[in-house]
Amino acid sequence: MTASVILYTCPFVPAEWILAHGLSPHRFLPSPRRESGVFAGVGEGVCPFARAAVETACTEPGAAALVASTTCDQMRRAAEFGEAYDRLPVFLMHVPSSWESAGAHRYYRGELARLGRFLRELGGREPTKDRLAEVMEEMDAARRALLDARPGMTSSEFAVAVAAYYRGGVLPPGLPDRGGEVLNGVPLAVVGSPFFEGQAEVFELIERQGGRVALDATTSGEGSWPRPFNRRRLREDPFDELADAYFGSIPDAFRRPNSLLYQWLRRELQTRGIRGIIFRRYVWCDTWHAEAQRMKEWCGMPMLILEPEDDARLHARSISRIEAFMEVLR
Amino acid sequence: MKDSPARITLEEWDARYAELRVAGLREPWYGGPLRRHVDEGGDYRLLRLRYDNSPAALRLWNFLLTEEDRLKEARRQGKKLVGAMKDLGTVPVMAYSLANVTAFYPDGAWWIPCMMELSSKDLEIADSLGIDESFCPVRAMLGAFLTEAHFPIPDLLTCNVGATCDDFSAIAQRLNGLGFPILWWETPHRRKPKVGQASRLSGSQVGQASRLSGSQVGQASRLSGSQVGQASGLSGSQVGAGFNFLPAEESVPLPGGLSAPREQVDFVRSELERVRGAIEELAGGRLDDAALRDGIRVANRMRRVLAELRELSYSAPVCPIPALEMLIAEMLAIHFCSDREEAIRVLEELLEEARRRVRAGIGPLGADAVRVFWVNPVADLRAMNILEDCGGRVCGTEYLFSHALDPIPEDVPPMEALARTALADPMIGPCSDRADRICRDIQLFGAEAVLVSRIPGASHCAVEGAVIHEMVRERLGLPVQEIEVPPLCDAVATTIRTRIETLIETVKARRKP
Repeated sequence: MTASVILYTCPFVPAEWILAHGLSPHRFLPSPRRESGVFAGVGEGVCPFARAAVETACTEPGAAALVASTTCDQMRRAAEFGEAYDRLPVFLMHVPSSWESAGAHRYYRGELARLGRFLRELGGREPTKDRLAEVMEEMDAARRALLDARPGMTSSEFAVAVAAYYRGGVLPPGLPDRGGEVLNGVPLAVVGSPFFEGQAEVFELIERQGGRVALDATTSGEGSWPRPFNRRRLREDPFDELADAYFGSIPDAFRRPNSLLYQWLRRELQTRGIRGIIFRRYVWCDTWHAEAQRMKEWCGMPMLILEPEDDARLHARSISRIEAFMEVLR
Repeated sequence: MKDSPARITLEEWDARYAELRVAGLREPWYGGPLRRHVDEGGDYRLLRLRYDNSPAALRLWNFLLTEEDRLKEARRQGKKLVGAMKDLGTVPVMAYSLANVTAFYPDGAWWIPCMMELSSKDLEIADSLGIDESFCPVRAMLGAFLTEAHFPIPDLLTCNVGATCDDFSAIAQRLNGLGFPILWWETPHRRKPKVGQASRLSGSQVGQASRLSGSQVGQASRLSGSQVGQASGLSGSQVGAGFNFLPAEESVPLPGGLSAPREQVDFVRSELERVRGAIEELAGGRLDDAALRDGIRVANRMRRVLAELRELSYSAPVCPIPALEMLIAEMLAIHFCSDREEAIRVLEELLEEARRRVRAGIGPLGADAVRVFWVNPVADLRAMNILEDCGGRVCGTEYLFSHALDPIPEDVPPMEALARTALADPMIGPCSDRADRICRDIQLFGAEAVLVSRIPGASHCAVEGAVIHEMVRERLGLPVQEIEVPPLCDAVATTIRTRIETLIETVKARRKP
């Protein structure tokens, strides 16, 4: 029997926790072409990603629930619309913005426990300590395997593999391996708002222009993954380790302060020899928008600021801007 | 000298002020003609507004427009300054509980572009920092910090984050990135306490259970196990038949008729304890519960004065105090405009004027003015004048800080009371909670229409406006109109006026038998 599918987009929702409850986690890149009628009557001002996430969830066949989070005001309020629409149960998880107090960490753990109760209401079973630890080890190994395989893949292939991993938390079979040939392009970082579906097309365009995305630091990329689990703590108290690995390590622009993001980026930009940044943010995404100028001043390398189209397609303006940017870097 | 209530221009106030002086007007130290704020302070917007002509209104305006002087004087006296950001009404109650601490809201800078008619360059500074016009006008705060031209840099900056608006959080983060240390404290998204229920509910049952109203939840939380089972749609036998029973959460009542789970109240209390610690360290003294209780009592005294003023102004047959002065009066409740005792005296004088006018059945507006409920604060004060110019009057408001108007509970420990107040912030809960409160207040004040003024760029306005619109229409059947008010609305004044006139005409047409 296929397990109930739990949809989410937020990196702070641990797939391990859903899987350990016997349900199927599906972290999705939303489609802006879905129309459910949820937002009928709502005018301008709604973030296209938040809108698309709720629209996609409400029209996704077989979805058992949507887990949304409060990492941005827009998603919080869009989730409220989804809940009122009554197409599927919506769980709104509060992920604290602040992280420097012990209270914030405790609150996150409490929210995970509350999510667990929600999952059990949907038919999930309370995980044993051993089961949770087992799932965590499997998913940690899958993430490690993905990262290990990355040198053999183009950046668009890697994006496809990551998206497949997000659907169910299982590593896709037969990852491509092209050897060292894929390391030839100009190494770029993509930073900012999460992607819609069709992310690979953007990466392919960059590759065609002589670049490669060596670091996906968007909210849907590898920067949104938890740190590797600590083996000893995983066995002693897997729940605590899970919470700490997610809440304690994922850098994101919404965190207050968001110094973790800059620390992580500094390290990764240097390690991967990044020569340019493509910074993307949706219209109405205040959180990432506010970082654009600061990042430009901070990064000390060429940075292109892109505002993705609402329909997720690559329009001529974006294409020509990426082409021009790559021409400068080559 | 004319003493009948009227809305007058600044020019008319010049003459009126001279007359009042001759008649023996007594003013506090910050008194004087309003025009000096234009000549000396560059508050050019004052030239375009219409004001109430009472001495009480004069005092209110002078009090508002001299806050910077008070802050400088407080610093000169050695007092510590707390810049409270975003919570709108909670941290200042704590700060003012210590004699050597003064608090203010840097957020108030959002009116600087309006008051100075963009001559202050604060928005240009925000632009240069990448915070452009797609953000809420509170971005002017960045310029105010960098120029230090509008308020002294606080000794301690606190900022409420979590379930707040992204605009403010992002702008505060930008400020932090520029080297201004900030104590971030968290308020979670307010949710309804969960009623107990058995597991393996269907999706729709789960949805139903989680959408009970506050009062229903409150009732449910006092029920026995089997009763809770019934409340959540299950029979007693189902509860006792091997289902995995999930316990109910303790429901804590909040100001404004809201409720929250105990764990959220406890969390916010612990966050406010961090703020308390920081204020104590700053002040070099203990901020104990006794001092906080006194602080809450004084804050409630002010809130009671304001409550009576609102009741009189919004429900009297003839409006006694115009919308603009009422907006400013409500704003005082948030932070006392940097002098708690004087803020109360200012409001008491305004209340006395309102009482006098209501007794006499007089006011600055016509008796047939259309009663409009106003949602959201405006970035340009002139918008309040436009409503009245079009034949409307304000009968009820929700300026996003209703939690700063409701009394703070005095029957629970002070930190618990403040946590409950912070959690009652209309911005941090579901839009439907806010819309529900608005509907209740509309009925309370007898408003005939609703005006939702969108804040340009604000992350919450698009969705909130739609929810409020729908609930007001469905529940009350009242006409709703939306306008968007930028920091200077002159360029769109015709559009705003047209929309308001449409609303007014709609109401007048509905009045006809």
